[in-house]
Amino acid sequence: MRADGTAPGRPAPDGQDARELLRRCARDVVDVAEGIRAVSERTSTALFAPALAASARRRPRTGLAARWALLRALTNKQGLGGSAITAPKGVGHVLGTAGEVLGRESLAALVAVTSLRLRIAAVLVDHPEFVRDPGMRRLTEAVTADKDLAAVRSLRALFRDQGAQRALSGLAPLMAELLAIRALLDEDPKNDETGWALATGRELSADPLHGISAARLAGLDKGEGAAEAVELTDQERQVITPEGSFLGFLRNIEMLSTDGRILLQNVRGPDGVVRYVLQAPGMAPGRPRNDSPQDFVGAWRNLFMPDSPYTRSILLALKDYGIPRGADLALIGHSEGGIAVMNLAQDEEFCRTYRVTHVIAVGSPVDSKKPADPRTWVASITNQHDIVPVLDGRGAGTAFDPHPHWYEVDYTGPTHEFPLCHMLHEYIEHLKTVIPEARERVDEALAPYLGPVVRTQAYQLKDRANPPEGYPFLTLPTTSVPTTAGPIDVPVRYYDSSAAHLCYTVGADTARGLLPDVTWMTPSRLGRRAMAVLSLYEHRCTTIGPYTEIALSVLVDDLWRPRPHDAAVDLLRRVDLRRTGRHVLCLAVTSEEARVVAQEIWGQPARRVTAEADLTGRRIGVRSPDLGLAVDARLGRGVRCPEADWILYGRRGESTIRTLVRAHGRLRLHTGGGVRLRLDTAAAEPLAGQLRRLGIDTARPRFVLTCPQFMLHRSAGAVLPR
Amino acid sequence: MVTESPDITSYDTELLDQAEALRADAGLMEEYARRLRATAATLGGCPTAPEWSGPTLERQAAACDTAAEQLRTAAETLLAHAGARD
Repeated sequence: MRADGTAPGRPAPDGQDARELLRRCARDVVDVAEGIRAVSERTSTALFAPALAASARRRPRTGLAARWALLRALTNKQGLGGSAITAPKGVGHVLGTAGEVLGRESLAALVAVTSLRLRIAAVLVDHPEFVRDPGMRRLTEAVTADKDLAAVRSLRALFRDQGAQRALSGLAPLMAELLAIRALLDEDPKNDETGWALATGRELSADPLHGISAARLAGLDKGEGAAEAVELTDQERQVITPEGSFLGFLRNIEMLSTDGRILLQNVRGPDGVVRYVLQAPGMAPGRPRNDSPQDFVGAWRNLFMPDSPYTRSILLALKDYGIPRGADLALIGHSEGGIAVMNLAQDEEFCRTYRVTHVIAVGSPVDSKKPADPRTWVASITNQHDIVPVLDGRGAGTAFDPHPHWYEVDYTGPTHEFPLCHMLHEYIEHLKTVIPEARERVDEALAPYLGPVVRTQAYQLKDRANPPEGYPFLTLPTTSVPTTAGPIDVPVRYYDSSAAHLCYTVGADTARGLLPDVTWMTPSRLGRRAMAVLSLYEHRCTTIGPYTEIALSVLVDDLWRPRPHDAAVDLLRRVDLRRTGRHVLCLAVTSEEARVVAQEIWGQPARRVTAEADLTGRRIGVRSPDLGLAVDARLGRGVRCPEADWILYGRRGESTIRTLVRAHGRLRLHTGGGVRLRLDTAAAEPLAGQLRRLGIDTARPRFVLTCPQFMLHRSAGAVLPR
Repeated sequence: MVTESPDITSYDTELLDQAEALRADAGLMEEYARRLRATAATLGGCPTAPEWSGPTLERQAAACDTAAEQLRTAAETLLAHAGARD
């Protein structure tokens, strides 16, 4: 026997006749298999019927004989087979499962496998190249030879090998058959239904590999769907086809890539009528993502479920685009996009709203679907070596053709390796060089759409609508405040910041000497000392732009009625009720806008400097050549502490400005041991002199508060009559 | 006069129905065996048919025959059981 399972020395048959004969025989045999399966089920029901159990208790001698005869009929290896017992639960279920686990296949399953093997033999008539590949030869020999268990072993080895993509892509034309054989013959009874569905051409409801229910897997695909109109880049606009054509639409889809966008276009047809074309790309590679409906889980849901975030998102995009009711609409998709558009086409309500004239799916598993409008012209173009279109269980060897009226092209392209053969670029190339007649046929069908493109709009699809940035912490009412740098919205919001606060105990008198020359502002006392804070900020995203901030402040008491321990008591109060705060002695920022805001809105003595900060890790560093300041610290793990909101005080003219600062992030408390502060300047201004006077240039901070990533907002400063 | 309880009567009727169904299934299995042999014969006339197909289909047809015989036996024992007295 040859490797393809045919006998040598016989005259070469006519390929098409032989293929058809094999497929017809496969259909007959699988009918028999289904019949045997039904007999097994009825016999199992008789064995475990309550009537027999009850009567056997009353007449045990004849009852036992009857049950024994039934059990023998069900389990005899020369008869219905080892695991012919089928029962949903109880002893029958255990026996049936045990038979399967022990490798004793039922006659029904073996006959179904024979049918599948005949289908494989039909495919081999068209694919003699399988015989030449050594690995493939071993596998096809095993599958087609008279060794059921060897076939299963080979398949198991193949499926266990995660890197066997080449082998899998080579097997793509046989994939459905092999998956069915595997499901029918392996030890896992859970995927038997899948195997039977594949063998008999029924609609799949589960993953062919593992028998996982599509509903269960689709549970990962969450979200109500969302669509947002987005602009194409200049480069992308140049690629967009100016004239409607099949290849032009496919090139548009290729341009969109798989980043979650779709394209809608208006095309003026040769008859002057404006028609609409939806172009949907395929799935993005990688793990399930809940930000885009174009992922593998989305594809899976699309495949088995009529509704998914992808289809829901497309509906929202169509609504936003404003297609008139009853307008002609062509749907074109690649891979998952093809499934999604076919899902739309099979929705009756959708077809009542729009006249879906064409559905064209390229490299998509759409065989299990059917458009609601029988007038819809459907084309499916698949490379036989592309695994993705086989996911619906209908491979090249199928003995069933569920859509005789579709225009289906299942060709053998020069690219065999997956995922290359699934790429749209490859399909476009093949439509030009390998199957130009298919391109011409589709263009012919698309004739009403072959005209100038008059409008193009891309939509970004999402699994769910995203909340506003920083929601809910930074979702605040704002007011616009005029400044010399233009109007500024307050509160100023900081979406992504890092901070380190170096807290020093300093001489109270020295601190008092640095505060404004007013009698009512006094430093808060910690024993006999005061507290100064050198705050270092890295603001990466704010409403006034990114900037770095270095601030020196001193903790001060209630401006009207200072009391001992005010600062400690205030820590227990809500921030808006606090009376103590930090008076900002000096502020250095790296952007002009930040300087103006600090100076004009918060009344802080700000100056613009150059500075760099890295405060996101345990090793933090800030350098400001203008200030002559460098801070380096190696911090330990620290301990979590409550979020610290602050009150900042500034001065504007004869008034004090009180600014509420609210922060949201994980604050950590560290010892100040690893902090090194250097002053490389002899100048007194702007910051160095104050640091020296407070003794900070030579001291270690008592403690350090850090927050590698947090959000904050700073209110408009309230003017106090002080 | 001795009367059977309605439960026992209904059980026996069910057993008789099942025995009848088993007989019918035995007939079906014989029919399947015939169909498999017919397929084997069809493929035997096709030069591109895999060599394994004939013996495999024949073996599976024989299994159908065995199953038919065993189902018929099971139907007989079930009938005997239904007709037996307590």
